[in-house]
Amino acid sequence: MDSVFLIKSLIILGIFALSLGIAAYETYFERVIAAFIQDRVGPDRAGPFGLLQPLADAGKLFFKEDFIPTLADKWLFILGPSLAMLTALMTSAVIPFGDSILYDGHEILVQGIEVNIGILWVFGVVSLGVYGILIGGWASNNKYSLYGAIRAASQNISYELAMGLSIIAVLMMSGSLSLRTIVEEQHGMNWNVFYQPLGFIIFLTCSFAECNRTPFDLPESENELVAGYHTEYGSMKLGLFLFSEYVNMFISSAVIATLFFGGFNYPGMDWVYSALTSKMGEVTGHNLATLVGTLVFFGKIAFFIFVYMWVRWTLPRFRYDQLMDLGWKGLIPLAVVNMIITAAAELSNQPLLVNWIGLGVFIALLYAGSALMKSKKTSV
Amino acid sequence: MYPIISLSVTGLLTLFLGFSENKKIVFPASIAFLLIALATAFIDWNAPGFYFNDMLQVNNTSIVFWAILIISAILIMGFSEGFERFEFAQPAEYFAIVQFSLVGAIMMVSFKNLIMLFLGIEILSVAMYVLTGADKRNIRGNEAALKYFLMGAFATGILLFGMAMFYGATGTFNIGSGVFIGGDNSFFLWIGCTFMLIGMLFKVAAAPFHLWTPDVYEGAPTIFTAYMSTIVKTAGFVALFKVLSTTFSGLQDFWWIMIAVLVTLSLMIGNIGAVSQNSFKRLMAYSSISHAGFMLLALLGDHENALGSIMFYSVVYTLATISAFGVLMVVSKERIEKGRVYEQNDLFKGLAQNNGFLATVLIIAMLSLAGIPLTGGFWGKFFVFRDAASSGLFWVIIMAVLMSAIAIYYYFKPVLLSMSKKTSLESITINPLAKFIFAITTFGTIVLGIFPWILRSLF
Amino acid sequence: METLETIKNLTMTQWSFYAVSVLTLFGALGTILSKNPIHSVIYLIMTFFSLSAHYVLLNAQFLAAVNIVVYAGAIMVLFLFVVMFLNIKDEAPELDNNKIVIGASIVGGTIGVILVAAIRLTESQKIDPSTYQIKTGFIETLGQLLYSKYLLPFELVSVLFLIAMSGAVMLGRKEKGERNF
Repeated sequence: MDSVFLIKSLIILGIFALSLGIAAYETYFERVIAAFIQDRVGPDRAGPFGLLQPLADAGKLFFKEDFIPTLADKWLFILGPSLAMLTALMTSAVIPFGDSILYDGHEILVQGIEVNIGILWVFGVVSLGVYGILIGGWASNNKYSLYGAIRAASQNISYELAMGLSIIAVLMMSGSLSLRTIVEEQHGMNWNVFYQPLGFIIFLTCSFAECNRTPFDLPESENELVAGYHTEYGSMKLGLFLFSEYVNMFISSAVIATLFFGGFNYPGMDWVYSALTSKMGEVTGHNLATLVGTLVFFGKIAFFIFVYMWVRWTLPRFRYDQLMDLGWKGLIPLAVVNMIITAAAELSNQPLLVNWIGLGVFIALLYAGSALMKSKKTSV
Repeated sequence: MYPIISLSVTGLLTLFLGFSENKKIVFPASIAFLLIALATAFIDWNAPGFYFNDMLQVNNTSIVFWAILIISAILIMGFSEGFERFEFAQPAEYFAIVQFSLVGAIMMVSFKNLIMLFLGIEILSVAMYVLTGADKRNIRGNEAALKYFLMGAFATGILLFGMAMFYGATGTFNIGSGVFIGGDNSFFLWIGCTFMLIGMLFKVAAAPFHLWTPDVYEGAPTIFTAYMSTIVKTAGFVALFKVLSTTFSGLQDFWWIMIAVLVTLSLMIGNIGAVSQNSFKRLMAYSSISHAGFMLLALLGDHENALGSIMFYSVVYTLATISAFGVLMVVSKERIEKGRVYEQNDLFKGLAQNNGFLATVLIIAMLSLAGIPLTGGFWGKFFVFRDAASSGLFWVIIMAVLMSAIAIYYYFKPVLLSMSKKTSLESITINPLAKFIFAITTFGTIVLGIFPWILRSLF
Repeated sequence: METLETIKNLTMTQWSFYAVSVLTLFGALGTILSKNPIHSVIYLIMTFFSLSAHYVLLNAQFLAAVNIVVYAGAIMVLFLFVVMFLNIKDEAPELDNNKIVIGASIVGGTIGVILVAAIRLTESQKIDPSTYQIKTGFIETLGQLLYSKYLLPFELVSVLFLIAMSGAVMLGRKEKGERNF
């Protein structure tokens, strides 16, 4: 039993270290991708290809002067970045990074904890994520910080609704809140994205907004608010804020991959599994297959992290009223429509077909309706 | 059961009617919807039963109360004809909220499960918070809505706490005589009973939970003041009766003294507070507190008669209140001061000379509220006094009679003012629908004053 | 000495229960005692969070998650949002009015004493672990209950929400000639 416990701890530690490590190297890749898109060279000084750049950044942030403004609320000023980092790291606990490891006759899941409310846990922690920004921004005692904080709060609240509604459609398909069950439902190539194209788009958009990434980075929009909620921050406190954003990005990529792209499932996994188990034996083969699944999962995560960066360096920022309009008048009604279509599809025998037919009918109705409105307006 | 479904659906329809260009159809449509709900109420007549796993109890008594609630709503809404002409009016929302709030009221008079009671109270209260603040440009209205909302939310919290205690003691939300009373868990039951009483007495504005009443009555648009002083009160008292007479009937020795004290307090605060009021709406607010006291008297008596007395009292009170507020609405429209309608008592100065019909309606309403014989109010009071007397509570009755005497003084203030020679008003226009409603309420008051057994024999 | 023994013999669950309870009470006290409204709100969030932990201890995971999502995650954010907009520091009324504090303490203390007395006088029913349904607090059980026994209230809640929503829209709608700020 002790060794099982040990392996479980190792897995948890590994997930923890991986989230931090990946987040650190996201900063590097962000610059590399930005440089590529803008036709520049990018970081190339620290180490080969600038690979040591994240370490240099961290070193710089650690050794800068730690500074608390005079009129700031000291404890809350410190609490802000800590909360941001805490909530960012808490989410990864329920994400299934791989199938299971067979060891000593025990089956150990490659996952922090398997709870039957997995996705709600993610959702709850994400909704807490805004407190770090909100508290930090207020405690700075700076108008720009406060504006940034308030924008973050209203943005997160608004987009959480559409996000929750799009998750409900996924939950209807799997019939469970547990992320592992959701992943196991998508065995092979039976990914949810094929059933839920609209839901996926809504979820992706909302996760951009929840991570405060461009084009939804209004809380820190530099040409309006200096630096938004972290205007007054410096040293590693600023580092924690920035870092938590990258951790969030990693986690939300993982959640997207889990919910819509099959998690650790990939086409031909059964063949790989049988080949490995027949060649290497039951236990080793199983463990290797799990490893392959985990690697595939990280590949998917990497792809979505790339999408995040790609979007950041291609799309301009929204104006605030556009952001609110998109959230309340665009995404929430769409998510409700998606939910209704999914419900109808789940009740029929052909969910895939009915989903697409429903989507087609909806788009046709939308098109016809807008055409009708246009003709009415021109005639009057 | 059917009016709940009907009203929920027609409320939605009314919201959709708001999309139409022609705002005028909303009013007749809503009245028609309410009439449909009234008709559906009688589908279950003589077919008592329980619905949805003992959530709702339907019998003839509850159907009579549904009818009372829906008819009062129709009568009150009748005064809003022509209201859509105003530039800022959003008639679809108002009428939809009124219909939804009736769903809550109906739940409150026919619940069998405390969850339904809680939900009904919440639906009705949230609707009332919104309607109180419906006149957005009136700063007093905004203040009233906020006060009502904050205090009401607090009261709801207390009610919910009481229900939780009740659940802890009995392990069920169902009301009925079958629950476990006494024994070790009765302490929780006592606490639950007290807290639930506090929460519900707040909603019916009984002292000492009355502090919101004058401000809210004054700040709310008059039509919704009428609404909350009739429908909320009727539904609230029936709910109180249902809880006390079924679940807590075993604890009667415990709550009996509380109710007796509250009756005295309500009567004193209501009647003495009303004496010095200059604003007609504040006067009616204090009068509403005192009437809450009178209606509580019925709960002290024997349960066989209490529901009939409550029913009679609430009908009579509803008719008189609708008359009074209706007259206020019609008359105050004619006198605008500082951009607001004028609602002080001396508004009625010279009303008898100016418009004899309105003066008659007002006088009969006031006489009925004061409890003068030959009006329905007299019999209403008579029945509750008789109920209380059956339990031998003579000190409370003496108190109540004394307070009725005080009440005559302040109810006669507007009456005397309307008789005076000098008039401050130009001619008053009444639209035919309002005239019709006045005719119904006044006629009803007098008929019930002469033949009370028409209504009383229903039970 | 005896108390020390009891402390030593506490199980893991009991330890978590006491730790979480202390946190809850600390948060609740902080909410009413702190002078700065922002601090109050943050303490309240802490209270909600530790209440969620209590739910987890009671094996009601769904309730815990929903409590966090709805209360800590949405309602308290809006609370904080509004409180931050108001500059309460400058125009705070004299809240440290002694009369109010004394009155509130007396009322609160009395209710507390009554509740404690009630709890002491009540024989609590012990749950038998062998017959205890582990799925009681699970979402499947809850869903089945909501869609069967409590179907009517569950559906009628939508009427409540509809009122609240149309009311909010009605009261919040910008009117002709009104400025945004």
